[in-house]
Amino acid sequence: MSLVDFILGIWTPKLPKYKCFKYSKLSKTVVNLFLLATSFCFSQECDLRLAGKVLDLHDNSPISAAVIYVEDSNETVFTDDNGVFVLENQCTQKINLKISHLHCDDLYIGVNLNKTTSRKFFLEHHIESLEEVVLEESKLKKLSSTAQSYVLSELQKDQYSGKGLAKALEQISGVNILTTGNGISKPMIHGMFGSRVGIIYDGIEIENQQWGQDHAPNIDQNAFNEIRLVKGAGVLKYSGETPGGIVVLENKLPAINDSLYGKSILNGYTNGRGLSFISSWTKSYSNGNYFKAQGTIKRSGDFSAPNYLLSNTGNNENNISFSMGKNKILSQWKTNFSYFSQEIGILRSSHVGNVNDLVFAIESDKPTIINPFDYQVNFPKQINKHYTASIQYSKRNSSNGKLNVKYSLQRNNRKEYDVRRGELKYKPAIDLTLNTHDLTSNYKWEKSNWSLDSGVFFQIQDNYSNPDTGTRRLIPDYLRTRLGTYFTASLTPSNNFGMAFGFRFGHQNNHIKKYYKNSRWEVENYEERLGAFVINEVLSQKLVEQRLIFNNLSFNTGVKLSILEKLKLSLNLFYTERAPDIAEMFSDGIHHSLATIEYGNPFLKSETTQKFVLNFEKDIGNFKYNFSPYYTIGQNYIIIEPTGIEYSIRGAFPVWEYRAISSTIRGFDFDFNLKLNKNFTVRSSSSWVEGFERKSKTPLINIPPFTSTNSIEFSIPKFKSFSMVVSNKITLSQNQFPNHNFETSFVEHGKRVDKLVDISSPPNAYHLFSMKFHWGPYPFFSDKISVSLIFDNIFNASYRNYLNRLRFYADEMGRNMMLQIKIRH
Amino acid sequence: MLKSIYIKPIITLFLFILIFACSKDEDPEPAHEEEVISLVTLEVTKVGSSETITYNFEVKGHDHGEEDHEEEEEDDDHDDHDGEHTEIELEANSSYNVSMKIFNGTDPDNIEEMTPEIIEEADEHQVFYAITDELSGFSISSASNDTKDSDGNPLFIKTTWTTTGETSGDVVGYLFHEPTSKTGSTRNDFGGATDFEIEFEVHIY
Repeated sequence: MSLVDFILGIWTPKLPKYKCFKYSKLSKTVVNLFLLATSFCFSQECDLRLAGKVLDLHDNSPISAAVIYVEDSNETVFTDDNGVFVLENQCTQKINLKISHLHCDDLYIGVNLNKTTSRKFFLEHHIESLEEVVLEESKLKKLSSTAQSYVLSELQKDQYSGKGLAKALEQISGVNILTTGNGISKPMIHGMFGSRVGIIYDGIEIENQQWGQDHAPNIDQNAFNEIRLVKGAGVLKYSGETPGGIVVLENKLPAINDSLYGKSILNGYTNGRGLSFISSWTKSYSNGNYFKAQGTIKRSGDFSAPNYLLSNTGNNENNISFSMGKNKILSQWKTNFSYFSQEIGILRSSHVGNVNDLVFAIESDKPTIINPFDYQVNFPKQINKHYTASIQYSKRNSSNGKLNVKYSLQRNNRKEYDVRRGELKYKPAIDLTLNTHDLTSNYKWEKSNWSLDSGVFFQIQDNYSNPDTGTRRLIPDYLRTRLGTYFTASLTPSNNFGMAFGFRFGHQNNHIKKYYKNSRWEVENYEERLGAFVINEVLSQKLVEQRLIFNNLSFNTGVKLSILEKLKLSLNLFYTERAPDIAEMFSDGIHHSLATIEYGNPFLKSETTQKFVLNFEKDIGNFKYNFSPYYTIGQNYIIIEPTGIEYSIRGAFPVWEYRAISSTIRGFDFDFNLKLNKNFTVRSSSSWVEGFERKSKTPLINIPPFTSTNSIEFSIPKFKSFSMVVSNKITLSQNQFPNHNFETSFVEHGKRVDKLVDISSPPNAYHLFSMKFHWGPYPFFSDKISVSLIFDNIFNASYRNYLNRLRFYADEMGRNMMLQIKIRH
Repeated sequence: MLKSIYIKPIITLFLFILIFACSKDEDPEPAHEEEVISLVTLEVTKVGSSETITYNFEVKGHDHGEEDHEEEEEDDDHDDHDGEHTEIELEANSSYNVSMKIFNGTDPDNIEEMTPEIIEEADEHQVFYAITDELSGFSISSASNDTKDSDGNPLFIKTTWTTTGETSGDVVGYLFHEPTSKTGSTRNDFGGATDFEIEFEVHIY
């Protein structure tokens, strides 16, 4: 055995990921250089220093045993397990380095030295031959090379494993939740929600009637091990019609070896007396096969506010997901099935009749109906189910290209139950079944400096609104087809500079059949513009058939550069065209919890938004921060607002209709992380946003007020497995809101009085304090166990949230204590 | 090379278009609104007489103090002021038996009376008449043949109206669904959701 073989024999055990089938010429050269290396320096002024870190270009993981060769002095050093190396006692101010690693392209770079230089260097894996392939599929690619993407750490994700995706995302600055009571939360990014925020799971956008203000995402975030978010339309590969932002849930590919691993979490809560259990298992084989099974069960009873019980706010959830695949290095296929089912109780007191009932509820400081604690979910409630089946195939070829094809089928059923009379008591008032077929195919080329990705997509979606509900359809039946293409390119010529460009074009055809009541038809004078589309008349209603076509082009562009040594600046522009969603065009019904009637506008056009985002980031050192101001302008921006009152025998109901305006939304997010000493770290996350109509300067509705979450984390390095966090979240009162208040007339105690219906004024500012304790992981038989104890709203503060549509009826949740036991197998 | 990448997906696309393009041919059924109360009638009979006057209260109500827009007629056998309250004229110092009937008229070919359904669910419903102070000496009480719920509370579907002196004023009739209380002196004592709110003027001559 030659000396070369011996040395390589020493080094290979430190690189378990890489299999050496053949020693390349490169590695021989590297080793020879090592043998010949000598170091010497000039006698005077040799105190310059470089501390470097070598990372993988794709996912920032450290590269150990990389070779750093200083060309000027023939000196060679190696990176340790953390990818760190130090070059000391350097004499010349500018040195030329060659950084290399097995299976990687060499990096030649010049560095300017001073007494304390520190730098990061990025290496790109390179496939030298078909036999020497590095498994990078298990690591996730960056969502965008220029737009900031926020990742939830595993701890952050698991903490909310029993509370739903939106609540987990709320930890990120700039993300709020729009709620309908405690059981229903939807993510809102920079003031935009609903169809303006896309949720992508396994590469497909979830189709679950996301337009609804009281429609929470029907997805179990525990089925995914990576959750990332981009605030803005920065990922055109997945979606082009979500100007608010995009949430990407993905699973890492298991490694090609024999292993069985998993995680189980048990959560218990005092408020709601709830319990949830999540477990996931992955089995992988050395021939590349793998399968993963995961399940979640959640049960909770009525929640309580500080002074009273919130009757009928219990909920249940049962989810299961299963995926199976084969990873053959050069090609992969995967199939996935998942089932999501939830039953959510809606605060009983929120079901009102007309506007006078609403005033009574607003004026009561307690909910009008308070019953003893119960796990049983009664009316009003929602029962939502979401089924997914998908199959995916990828193939890599030798010219750095990868082809990917995916088909997925989603079936979503949403049943919303009101408080009804007689035979209709047990029938839902809304029963929608949405079937969506997606077929996408894309090709990706990648080299060390650049990557291109282009694809086509095709979608067919069918919505069936069951007429058997005994009440008129809230949204009509429709068939929607989408066809389009996208192209994204990113260029990173050096570690200090990167730029990206992308566009996405989608052609959309909506085939709708809708019934209009004759009375409404006459009031709106639809005969003029829609008369030609009437195909039938029955039961004092007209059946209208329309085919609405939208062509939307979205694009984005951005740059990212290092302006100072530790400061990175990125500037991104997102231009998005979004077709109006089905509710914005064809909504037709009463919202019982708000005593309002909502009507769609069939004449809406696509809305266009331009968003400019600046990002200043410093991610090195004891003080790290991220400051991101943004500015969004919208044309044909679709909003909903009251247009009048409709009187019927049932009383008065304000009517809300959709309208297109020119809008401006601007704000900033600021996060920082300050390590005070080895025990204490301060974290802060704040966001401020304002939105208004450009012409009249009227504020937009439901814009979140300023919030700031600040926490101090305490940990003792000796007891690595214990940490404690005390945090405070302050939410100010939103003083920029549209005034949609009106008066109603009422007979009270024999006298006719006029009452103000105040549905606009936001609630007061509030503070919430919480404490978290974390122990672990500790060895537990052959597994690892961690325990967390979390106290929310420690002082049992009584408060209302402007973004809660049911804020008129009751306070938010009071104190809650959660115990979580997590076992890693 | 480009062909080989895109040809398979394009073939599959065509297959999809073929299979699904023609699936939206059937017209959706119209939805019947089965629980909407669209008409309330009051049948007023003077005690001792056999003459009954029926007052209809239909879908469109109106606002107090604002301009009125489109209206459906509120027809009754007496006055019909567009945009104003229905007037019920009663004689002074008399008693009247009043029977309330509730209808779902959303399907004009099949007007369904819902009163039996509401009487059957007497526990979950309550009728209440709010009388303004101007109508001094006027009172509405439960009739002897009124329905009672399982706790003995009268439903007020059949009532007796008693007049004394000459006066006039507003009365509002309500039906509450799942009220939190079955008794009270003003609307807010009852809680629950308002199923209808009919307003009329009582003129006592």
